[in-house]
Amino acid sequence: MAIPENAEQKIDLYLSKLRRRLAGVNPQIIREIADELRGHILDKIAAAGEVTPAAVDATLARLGDPEALADEYLTDNLLARATASRSPLRILHSLLRWASLSLAGFLVLTASVMGYFLGIVFVLVAVLRPFHPQTAGLWLLPGTAGDPEFSLRLGFGTVPAAGRDLLGWWIIPVGLIGGCGVVTLTTRLAIACAQRYRRSRVPARG
Amino acid sequence: MKDRGATDQELADKWEVQLRKGCLELAILVALWDGKLYGLEILRRLESDSDLIVSEGTVYPLLSRLKALELVRSEWVESDAGHPRKYYALTPAGKQRVREMAGMWTRFSSSMSKLLAPLSRGR
Repeated sequence: MAIPENAEQKIDLYLSKLRRRLAGVNPQIIREIADELRGHILDKIAAAGEVTPAAVDATLARLGDPEALADEYLTDNLLARATASRSPLRILHSLLRWASLSLAGFLVLTASVMGYFLGIVFVLVAVLRPFHPQTAGLWLLPGTAGDPEFSLRLGFGTVPAAGRDLLGWWIIPVGLIGGCGVVTLTTRLAIACAQRYRRSRVPARG
Repeated sequence: MKDRGATDQELADKWEVQLRKGCLELAILVALWDGKLYGLEILRRLESDSDLIVSEGTVYPLLSRLKALELVRSEWVESDAGHPRKYYALTPAGKQRVREMAGMWTRFSSSMSKLLAPLSRGR
């Protein structure tokens, strides 16, 4: 079926907005998404019979705003891949993109970075304890305002004389198990938040 | 201030939307049970065989997600329409998932029907 030039332009404009929003995604995936949606639009127009600007507008309107549609792809794909891999790096990469799309993504990313950072520091302290037996560990130090404060120290530099090593050599099992536990928990919470967010965004008509 | 009737209707609408959302993934996977379909065919199947009318822009990202989860696979097929179409089919993991979800749905539906029985008796 021949498509008038102005109708083609409307479709191209719609798809170019979608592509722009998907920038950063694998170009092959973007091409497939655009080709599939173009096919959908052409099929819908063909089913409607006569090709008029109004029919094209109505078809594009039923697909929704191109940028919102791109966001659905981004959250659906990235979060699905993150869920499937359970790799902290893949999850952080997905969350980074999600954070650029919404406040919810930004908050989950911030919490996840803090969780992963804490978990990694715990593991590092446990690993470095044999090399810095006098300084690496979980310390209780006198704070500036007089209140004692906890400090996870990797063992580089000195520890204030008034400091107390709370766990001693127990930091090794506690650090390894606790650190891995915090990383695992962070991963699960990030995935749970992403899934909950995704479910809440699936729009339904009717 | 909104009147009570309008608020109740909004709550009912919201509940119905949530109910539809929860069923969409199962509905799409079930639509593929008999064989491969492309996006628009899946939409038409959902519209003709169920009351589950969804916005068109919802189905494609969801299909993409199901593919990322390896519950469906896709292939491009040339068509008479002059452009290729992306067909989706269930993977073995997708078929397994459908069976599990269908089992859960049947048990849930049966439990709810028992709970709702007094309404059908007119009490």
